[in-house]
Amino acid sequence: MSLRTADTARTAGTARTAGTARAVAPRRRGRYGAPAVLLAPFLTLFTAATLVPIGYAVYLSLFTEHRSGLGFGPVQTVFTGLGNYTRALGDPVFRGGFTTIAEYCLLYIPVMVGLSLTVALLLDSALARAKRFFQLALFLPHAVPGIIAALIWAYLYTPGISPVVGALGSAGVHVDLLGHPLPAVVNMAVWEWTGYNMVIFFAGLQALPREVLEAALVDGAGPLRTALSIKLPLIKASITMVCLFTLIGSLQLFTEPMILQGASSQVTTNWTPNMFAYSAAFGRNDYGLAAASSVMLALAAAALSFIVTRVTRTRSERRTEAAR
Amino acid sequence: MSTHRTARRRVLRLAAVLTTSALSISLLAACGSSGGGSASSSASSHGPVTITFWAWAKGTQQVVDAFNASHKDVHVDFEQIPSGVAGGYAKISDAVKAGNAPDLFNVEYAALPDFVSQGAVQDITSLVPAGLKAKYLPQSVEQTTLGGSTWALPLDAAPQALFYRKDLFAKAGITTPPTTWADYQADAVKLKAAEPNTRIGTFFPDDPSTLEAFAWQNGAHWFSSSGDTWKIAVDSPATKKVADYWDGLVSKDLVRVQTSFSQQWTASLQKGETAAYLGAAWGGGVLQGTVAGAPGNAGNWAVAPVPTWDGQPASGMLGGSTFAVSKDSQKAQAAVEFATWATTTPQGIQARIASGTSSMFPADPELLPAAKAAFNTSFYGGQDIYAVFTAASKTIVQGWQWGPGLSVTNSTLKDAFAKLGQGGTIDGALGSAQSATVSDLGTLGLKVAQ
Repeated sequence: MSLRTADTARTAGTARTAGTARAVAPRRRGRYGAPAVLLAPFLTLFTAATLVPIGYAVYLSLFTEHRSGLGFGPVQTVFTGLGNYTRALGDPVFRGGFTTIAEYCLLYIPVMVGLSLTVALLLDSALARAKRFFQLALFLPHAVPGIIAALIWAYLYTPGISPVVGALGSAGVHVDLLGHPLPAVVNMAVWEWTGYNMVIFFAGLQALPREVLEAALVDGAGPLRTALSIKLPLIKASITMVCLFTLIGSLQLFTEPMILQGASSQVTTNWTPNMFAYSAAFGRNDYGLAAASSVMLALAAAALSFIVTRVTRTRSERRTEAAR
Repeated sequence: MSTHRTARRRVLRLAAVLTTSALSISLLAACGSSGGGSASSSASSHGPVTITFWAWAKGTQQVVDAFNASHKDVHVDFEQIPSGVAGGYAKISDAVKAGNAPDLFNVEYAALPDFVSQGAVQDITSLVPAGLKAKYLPQSVEQTTLGGSTWALPLDAAPQALFYRKDLFAKAGITTPPTTWADYQADAVKLKAAEPNTRIGTFFPDDPSTLEAFAWQNGAHWFSSSGDTWKIAVDSPATKKVADYWDGLVSKDLVRVQTSFSQQWTASLQKGETAAYLGAAWGGGVLQGTVAGAPGNAGNWAVAPVPTWDGQPASGMLGGSTFAVSKDSQKAQAAVEFATWATTTPQGIQARIASGTSSMFPADPELLPAAKAAFNTSFYGGQDIYAVFTAASKTIVQGWQWGPGLSVTNSTLKDAFAKLGQGGTIDGALGSAQSATVSDLGTLGLKVAQ
């Protein structure tokens, strides 16, 4: 479906360019008409599914509920301004969620990016056999829905029922995978995302100009040297993009720890900021607090993506300008 | 041309940023949308009134089927939901918020005050005659009366009980089940000595309700009210005594620390690595459903009264459910009619117990013979388990009260229990829970005296 939409868009784009070249008058009308029509579905959905919910969340975050007497009477909704925001920020548990995320990123991003880069470089090298098969096999974990993956991993982690823990135990190795939720969650994420990002890196590597690689070969660079000094710097843009998306995705960490909670008490109800918002809304019915913490989380993600795009853009643009 | 492209790129970037932000909010917003009101116009004068009912208690489907088969005026549309702490409560309160709540739902005694204070439950005082109220155990009525109004009909009382493996106890040289907490600890040592991989029980770090029942048994009062002021005493000496005792068992590795009803806990029961379970009457059916299939279990389990501090029988209540009518239901009368039938008629209790999955102790003591007759006790070697429950129900300590804000108390306790074995203690968790509860009630605008 999305493929076809992309095709349609491309055809329309080509048609427009052709029209522009031929005549000036139709161009005037088409200048706003066609983009408007093409953008309308997106904008409608974007407004309904994104802007309106954000607005509603911001609105919710400004109110809180008050009870009177012993609390069994009618409930009053009162305006509290930024009260919910200060409450969330003042809660060490909410701030602790960000610490968890930071630790998670420090462990997860290097491991996952390193692994997928290694695999992509191996697949790209002349040594690799059965590339298609390995590409598919490595990508397959990503096709498994996150919740199902998390359930399976929780099972594999649980002592007493897990064949893996059992086998390790009988070999004399005693591991407590559920006692350390951070590596456990990182492992799930690595398993799920390595293949996906490997595909991105691999596509980047395939697009590299062959003459550069041949030049390196002629200059006497071995496969390792080519990979480190030629290929890696050339796909830097992909690497930055993957790191950025992973970082933002990490802020939203939710499914895996949520599922793991059922198996390990080490994963607390407020382990990540998203879980804090979830438990505020659905555990404590404090929708104001939940909305405030979600809005702040969203702002953090927005700020992060803005900063990183800014930094990477200036660097790449500088390079383009220098090239000119 | 180049400015045009830059502008377009900027728009794209903005869109990307907005989309990212939206992802984290969409979770919350998904539940904010208010669906159409389900309280459709009342049923026509002909034909039955259809009420919707959400519950997770074992055997509920059988009860609903039996009711629908024997009633022409009311039809119950039942939906099975996850248990309260596993997401059921969130589902109910979201539905109430969104305006599409069921007419009737099950809620445990402990969670009822939270639901009432959220305004999710309807005051049914006028629909519950004194005669009906008199049928239930006074401890159950006490729990469903808040601020002088009746908010729910009690389904079961949940006297505590000790479920244990007779064969494993005998192998360790234990002839009679422990009657005091000192005995329980001594037996834990014996079991571990006889078989190093066996423990007497489990501390559930994910579910504070067992600890709360122990505190209740020891005469603690976490919530109490005078006038319109709450008094919170989570870390009172009566509870600290219980916490210190369990801290001792955990630190001496005499009990396991495992998530309640997890695969891990189930597996250790099935293998006989955990030889006993401190639960409540309803736990009998759940335990049977959990481990009956594993070899060596059926017929070897037995029930005893919960140990006490001084050897004099005493019990708290661990769980126990009620029927509550949701705030906006237009069919409260029909809902109460079904709830009355399900909680006070022999047919209602018989349908539930005969399902083979429930061993609940009816809040209406007149139903005991029906419950007893319906429960197949072969898993318990033919023991008269209802006699144990009945004796225990008479020793439930009166005067315990639940209050609003318990969800905060519980989540604080859970999070603190996660640090057990890493420097955290149960005793320390009580202090955090005390201050979190007090501050939450303050946030709700309630008066609190510590």
